[in-house]
Amino acid sequence: MQPPPPKPGVPGAQPGYSPFGQPPTSQNQPLLPPGSQRPVQPWQQSPSGVAQPFRPGGNFPSAPGPPVGGPPTAGPGSTIPGSGPPPLGARPAGPPGAFIPGQNSPAHAPGPPPPPFTRQPPGPPPPSAFRPSGPPPPTMSTLLGGNQGPPQGPGLAPPPVGAQPPPMGTTFSQPFPTGRIPGYPTQVPPGPPPTSGPYMNPPTSLGQPPFAGQSMQPPPFGPSSQTRLNQFPAPPQLATTQQGPPQSAPPFGPPPSYYGAPSPTSTPLQTPPPPMAGYGYDPTTRGLPEEFQSLNMVPLPGSMEAAVDASVLPRPTDDVEPTPSAWAANCHPRYLRLTSNSMPNAQSLVARWHLPLGAVVHPLAEAPPGEEVPVVNFGATSIVRCRRCRTYINAYVTFTDGGRRWRCNVCVLLNEVPVEYFCPLDVNGKRKDADERPELSQGSVEFVAPTEYMVRPPMPPVYFFLIDVSASAIRTGMLQTACETIKASLDKLPGYPRTQIGFITFDSALHFYNLKSTLTQPQMMVVAELDDPFLPMPDDLLVNLSESRAVVEALLDSLPAMFQNNLNVESALGPALKAAFMVMSQLGGKLLVFQSTLPSLGVGRLKLRGDDPRIYGTDKECNLRVTEEQFYKQMAADFSKYQIAVNVYAFAEKYTDLASLGTLPKYTGGQVLHYPGFQVQTHGEKFTYELGRDLTRETAWEAVMRIRCGKGIRFSTYHGHFMLRSSDLLALPAVDCDKAFAMQLTLEDTLLTSQTVYFQVAVLYTSSSGERRIRVHTMAAPVTAEIGEMYRSADVGAITSLMSRLAIEKSFTSKLEDSRQAGQSRLVRALREYKNLFAVQYRTTGRLIYPESLKLLPLYVLAINKSLALRGGFNEVSADGRSAAAFEMMTMPASRLLKYIYPSLYRIDDYLYQTAKAKADPVDLPAPLPLSAERLDPRGAYLYNDGLRFVLWVGKVVSPDFVGLLFGSEVAQSPDSSKAVVVEQDNDLSKRFIAVLNKLREKNTAVYQECLLVRQGEQPRESILLLQNLVEDRTIQPYGYVDWMTQIYRLVQQTS
Amino acid sequence: MAAVELTLWLFSFFGVAGLLGIVVYQLMCLSDLEFDYINPFDSASSINKFVLPEFIGHGALCGFYLLTGHWLMFLLNLPLAYYHMRLFMHKRHLVDVTEIFNLLGKEKQYRLMKLGFYLLLFFIVIYKLVVAAVVVILEYDRGPDVDF
Repeated sequence: MQPPPPKPGVPGAQPGYSPFGQPPTSQNQPLLPPGSQRPVQPWQQSPSGVAQPFRPGGNFPSAPGPPVGGPPTAGPGSTIPGSGPPPLGARPAGPPGAFIPGQNSPAHAPGPPPPPFTRQPPGPPPPSAFRPSGPPPPTMSTLLGGNQGPPQGPGLAPPPVGAQPPPMGTTFSQPFPTGRIPGYPTQVPPGPPPTSGPYMNPPTSLGQPPFAGQSMQPPPFGPSSQTRLNQFPAPPQLATTQQGPPQSAPPFGPPPSYYGAPSPTSTPLQTPPPPMAGYGYDPTTRGLPEEFQSLNMVPLPGSMEAAVDASVLPRPTDDVEPTPSAWAANCHPRYLRLTSNSMPNAQSLVARWHLPLGAVVHPLAEAPPGEEVPVVNFGATSIVRCRRCRTYINAYVTFTDGGRRWRCNVCVLLNEVPVEYFCPLDVNGKRKDADERPELSQGSVEFVAPTEYMVRPPMPPVYFFLIDVSASAIRTGMLQTACETIKASLDKLPGYPRTQIGFITFDSALHFYNLKSTLTQPQMMVVAELDDPFLPMPDDLLVNLSESRAVVEALLDSLPAMFQNNLNVESALGPALKAAFMVMSQLGGKLLVFQSTLPSLGVGRLKLRGDDPRIYGTDKECNLRVTEEQFYKQMAADFSKYQIAVNVYAFAEKYTDLASLGTLPKYTGGQVLHYPGFQVQTHGEKFTYELGRDLTRETAWEAVMRIRCGKGIRFSTYHGHFMLRSSDLLALPAVDCDKAFAMQLTLEDTLLTSQTVYFQVAVLYTSSSGERRIRVHTMAAPVTAEIGEMYRSADVGAITSLMSRLAIEKSFTSKLEDSRQAGQSRLVRALREYKNLFAVQYRTTGRLIYPESLKLLPLYVLAINKSLALRGGFNEVSADGRSAAAFEMMTMPASRLLKYIYPSLYRIDDYLYQTAKAKADPVDLPAPLPLSAERLDPRGAYLYNDGLRFVLWVGKVVSPDFVGLLFGSEVAQSPDSSKAVVVEQDNDLSKRFIAVLNKLREKNTAVYQECLLVRQGEQPRESILLLQNLVEDRTIQPYGYVDWMTQIYRLVQQTS
Repeated sequence: MAAVELTLWLFSFFGVAGLLGIVVYQLMCLSDLEFDYINPFDSASSINKFVLPEFIGHGALCGFYLLTGHWLMFLLNLPLAYYHMRLFMHKRHLVDVTEIFNLLGKEKQYRLMKLGFYLLLFFIVIYKLVVAAVVVILEYDRGPDVDF
């Protein structure tokens, strides 16, 4: 739980060196639970009120030794002789050090402390700004025995700790919150309301000096006061959490510090509300702070079942972006997210965690402008790496010996610094050039790799197209659109002038195209031999684009016309794949397969399967979701071996056995794009965009990825689209910015001794420009011994991502129902474990308890179970639709996945009418609505956005003019809206609507979100496109959100 | 008669030794893969090369016992032969190169069990072989003048 300081383990840190020298900015904090930021202990402040430069926060009573949370010198406090606090027992109950709420603000201005009660840091935002997620109110003191008090002005200063009952004894009468508490518990504003009153029995804790002492800390931010309380004899735990700037600890006057919960956001500190003034002054706040959140389960009248008010259930807000890590040297969470930002130190802890423990890696994620990963070129020197564990040099290594050696942060080995890389250290033991060198100051960096990192010269970008030209491909217009898009993208293909390109088309025969640059027209060669296809002119099938540009364009122009009247319905995909393999195996590259029917000829032909409803619910059900044709697996392995990535575009209306076709992308780092029932009118734009993006996005060629981590931890399983080349090396023939990977880790040793675990993701690849590069992301995570801390610092996005991947993989080998059950039981076990942490102090019956960090997990697990890949059985989703969704979910980064499984729904008609006139640019959509059909008002129009497409639902009562304005009058009059396409109309409403769509599309560049129109009562489209996806309803599974929570609650309460 | 028996056991001795060799080789491939000495492609192809020979060898041995009337040995081998056949019919006999790392544990366990079975078989065969050899030697010692 302790964030180690940025430079842990600097053995020779000078007294003057403070890792916190620069005041963290607001983004330094959020991932940590509020409690981890306790820069200063009250007793460490000089009575004079002058902030001491090294006021450590690190010192806890009787913690002279190295603090647990970090190497000795890292704890800012430990460098100061004599700054240690008095022994616990000696700690006066009263005040020398008073706690200042403001001191917890990491942004607190250094320098002389502001006078008491003007603690509001000068410029910086209030502490709450650092915790956008609105952590629960600090609760240390509640756990410690009810010393909880409001932030107080001096006048309201409560009496000294031990002697005094909490302010206003009346608070004792304050009842436990029960079901009657109104409001929305999960949105408890950070910081307890001033009225938060103690409810625990004060004598129990106040009477005991140690506790009294402890309660003197600025408690409210204590991460897990409960567990801490239990472990009191091990104070180092407490002593090492400081990350905030030590300077920010002006003494805070006389009031005893146990008013632990100065609410950072509550009222200005100068005018604290009267302590008891308003129980209920904020109706949404429960009366007393708890460090968990809970949902009250109210017994339904006349039944034993409990229920919960749907309006108080937690729901995601619109943007679910991960917050950057508290440690500046960590990579941004868009690249790497851990399921818990506190690593367990023992296997017993892992066993109690119950949720998946691992990481979600999105190595090439697109960074917003200005935050691109810096490129480092070591030139002639080779890249500095650890001799033993091969870790790349990063911001967490420490330099010793005057800068001549460095200690690897992962394996603790002392390495020599190469002469060329030498740089003296400054007084703090920090390299003088650390700030200029991105690899020593940033979490993400890209090294230019010298020749040692090449097994062959860097390959050029290769795009090879395998296009189905059978009758259906012609009829739907696929061929035409594909050719046009490819032609339009030729200029934008990366890697000019080295890019290579080639084509094969196939129906019942294979058609090769000689694209030699000396020709004026491409030559077509037909090979009808399918059993053992051969290459007619092996050298001229894959050509340099810049040399053969004219021929390639001529081919793309003529292809649609050539096959215009093709009536051949057969498809010899297998032989075509073999032929493409032969062409590409020299170089590798990207193979794009356009398939519009079921492969019917030659090796790899597929059967119609999965049309038997009876198979669902039996053990054979899962066979439908994996390939039964070994050819595809073998082919995938060969492709991966020769650095060929396959992307499959599937267009068929009927069954094409995507489970088999998708095997190729699955093991080659590719993706499946599914356009069921492709029609150029409706899907053309989407297909054009997505193919164009596939061709033009920055791609990393012949890549391998490895994630390293500290001793005692090992990554054991990997989930995503790749092939394992050795037990921890992911082979990615081509990987791009839209692919994410997940992995689970296991503890090898029973006990971890280190305080911090480091993770380093390294992707070695060839850029399109032909440069070999290594992208390295480094992240450090503290090790904790407390299960509560793990739960508190959980990352719900990463957990959901990993859980969805596990569920999908389980569905490949067992029934859908088993897969859904597995997720549910994990959730239940985790919540039960968490509840048991508090079962002693709190009344836990009648409410469902969860940590703030996981408040959305129940919803997301429900949403996973209701996702296209896992929902229902035979009737709900076609086998191909299920496979396509599964492939999609296996590659999605966490943020897109959350959107996909729990889409947003906005009411848009009022909004459009109101803002149509305003030409103002900013598009602020109204707040998203819960995904429930109850919210759909027949008088309104709603926009549904799941990150893959938009659905505009128009109620029955809405005037047809509305549709007419947006889609044109023809659509408004026709009852069939399946062909409706959004085209800008000449009116403000339409312009505004398009601006809204484009704004949303900008946020999600990975796919093109087409906008479908659906009218209320228009079955079956309404149900397929919208109603079935409203996860809070009882549509697919027999439970909605409310029932689900009730069920989870019941299961959690069961002792098992 | 005794000489025939001896040849028979000698034959099955070599047969079982061959099977043992195959299984040990496959196990070596798997552990090499585990320790990253070879890549999954090579590992899988060298394992798969010997899958069918093993099945055929074991099937032949099984049929051989049946034909020569060694019922007990036949029954002992029958379950494995049936299992092999099932695997083959379901096309699951080959190691899946794409998932080999996830299946590593299972594949090793499966082969270790087979190794145990073949070892058992091996000892039985050696015992039988020794018995047969002793019988032959005794017969030889008694000399050809037994019938009179």
